[in-house]
Amino acid sequence: MTPITNGGLGMVMGVVQSAFSGVSQERRIAELTVLYEVSHALQKTVDEDKALHTILLGLTHGRGLGFNRAFILLVDSDERHLRGRLAVGPSTLEEASSFWQPMRDTHSGLGELLSSLSQTGIKRDLVANEIVSRFDIPLSETDHPLIQIMRSHESCLPINGILEPSGLPVPETLVTLLGTSHFVVTPIYLADRDLGVIIADNAISRAPIDMTSLRLLEIYAQQAGAAIQNTRLYKELTEKISLCENANLTLRENQYHLLRAERLSVIGKMAALLAHEIRTPLVSIGGFARRLLRTMATEDGRREEMEIIVSEVSRLERLVMEVLGYARLARPEYKPLDINGLIKSMMVTMQEEIERNLIKTVYHLAPDLPLAQVDESQLRQALMNLVTNAIDAMPSGGTLRIETSAGEDSLEIGVSDTGSGISHEHWDKLFTPFFTTKVMGTGLGLAIVSQVIENHCGTLRFESIPDQGTSFHIRLALHPEGPQALSATSLVGRDQKVRL
Amino acid sequence: MKTILVVDDDKSLRRLYKSELEAEGYGIMLAADGHQAMDLVNSRMPDLVVMDIRMPGMDGLETMGRLLREHGGVPIILHTAYSCYQDDFLAWAAEGYVIKSADLEPLKEKIRDVLHEHSTT
Repeated sequence: MTPITNGGLGMVMGVVQSAFSGVSQERRIAELTVLYEVSHALQKTVDEDKALHTILLGLTHGRGLGFNRAFILLVDSDERHLRGRLAVGPSTLEEASSFWQPMRDTHSGLGELLSSLSQTGIKRDLVANEIVSRFDIPLSETDHPLIQIMRSHESCLPINGILEPSGLPVPETLVTLLGTSHFVVTPIYLADRDLGVIIADNAISRAPIDMTSLRLLEIYAQQAGAAIQNTRLYKELTEKISLCENANLTLRENQYHLLRAERLSVIGKMAALLAHEIRTPLVSIGGFARRLLRTMATEDGRREEMEIIVSEVSRLERLVMEVLGYARLARPEYKPLDINGLIKSMMVTMQEEIERNLIKTVYHLAPDLPLAQVDESQLRQALMNLVTNAIDAMPSGGTLRIETSAGEDSLEIGVSDTGSGISHEHWDKLFTPFFTTKVMGTGLGLAIVSQVIENHCGTLRFESIPDQGTSFHIRLALHPEGPQALSATSLVGRDQKVRL
Repeated sequence: MKTILVVDDDKSLRRLYKSELEAEGYGIMLAADGHQAMDLVNSRMPDLVVMDIRMPGMDGLETMGRLLREHGGVPIILHTAYSCYQDDFLAWAAEGYVIKSADLEPLKEKIRDVLHEHSTT
């Protein structure tokens, strides 16, 4: 696209010269004033609709060219049709005079009207716009008079049944559509780009249109071409700027995630290293403690203390296992699995702890649950972590609810407790490794759950109400080829982890 | 009496394993690294080797390789704090893989199984 310069000066001079030859000077000065106001208003708008409306108002203004109606037809964005875009004009003579009458008394009134356009928006004239909407001419119809006028860059005025200066017959369809043969057509173009046509008529007053009006109309068309090009350039530029801004935002977000991932990976490696270093002395301490315990007589008063050492070492060993387990989550193997079966077998191992904590278990397992492609040990670990958290949240008993349900292309697993709930301030850190609110926790439980579900391209969401309980919902997509196929196609979905 | 060679670079652990396994009725030989282990095996062949993996100098997997090449047939149990070596194909040559724990029962059980299997074949 070429930028616009303020062309048409020579043309204006020509119009001015011819203007003073016949019609009253006052009339021509008024026309030029309107043209000036329209140009001025156009410079201030970047909205194509407003620009077009401004031009149409200038054409129909009583003190300007004073056409009864004016229509703008533009080539659409895919460059295949010339379509009616916007029109201005009253449907009757009464409406016409009442529309412009108040403004004749003040100066031109157009300036105010145009600046009010930006506040009130565009009021569409129904009849005129109904007519303009019927124009839809394929550009391939090269013998259509409107297409020919647009292509030839030459205005046409019907005189005695002939379009002057082209000499073509006046198209009957156009006369029928407009309801008059008092019209004029002028092309809108910019350099070698054909943008559309303006049709102006005097359908109501039936006043004849002279050549001077036609030349002035051409200046309007030129203004229209420049304004359309400008608003389009502006729009394109705005879109590109917003694209750049979005790209920049995404880039910054990715950088943040990358840094975070890197930091977590370093923490993870250090944790694994530390866990291994701790493990060997733990084996010594615990091993000898067990040995000593075995040699103690049953009535020995120190037995209880030795048992504490043994059980505390066991607890530390479990924590170490958990840390090392987190570091091992990387390579899942997916196989079709009955999730209900997995839940049942996992719950057997948790039964003792559940009973000790006086917790009631309620199962709602969908009987017709389809098989899901999962890594059994990873999913078992994730579910176990959720159940362990639920147990920990209910130190004085409660209800543990485990449910499964099948959707059209996914299945859902829910684990809910009636425990203490998760305090709102902890929500955003909940899945961060090594974040914990427990006295003896690694802070890896939910991080593991989150990682496992991410590995499965599933989603994880939770709801929590303080003192009422927490529920976690895992949604796994049912894909015949497993999550590998999903991860390749729907990376976006992976990040859509809903956290309420 | 079956003889077990325990290879571990941690002194306390060597003492623990010796006491615990002797109580199970095995004769125990101890080595602090791979080179010591090779020397001991050259003078007397044990019925089973319990081998740590991470050791200074020659590590457990390398020692196992040499042992199997030079004295093929001796069963080896890898005994380590690391679960990651389980995926190492070198570790597949071992008869067993036990992760270190203060609870020595899994190790003792694996030793019983392996010795039993080898006495019947």
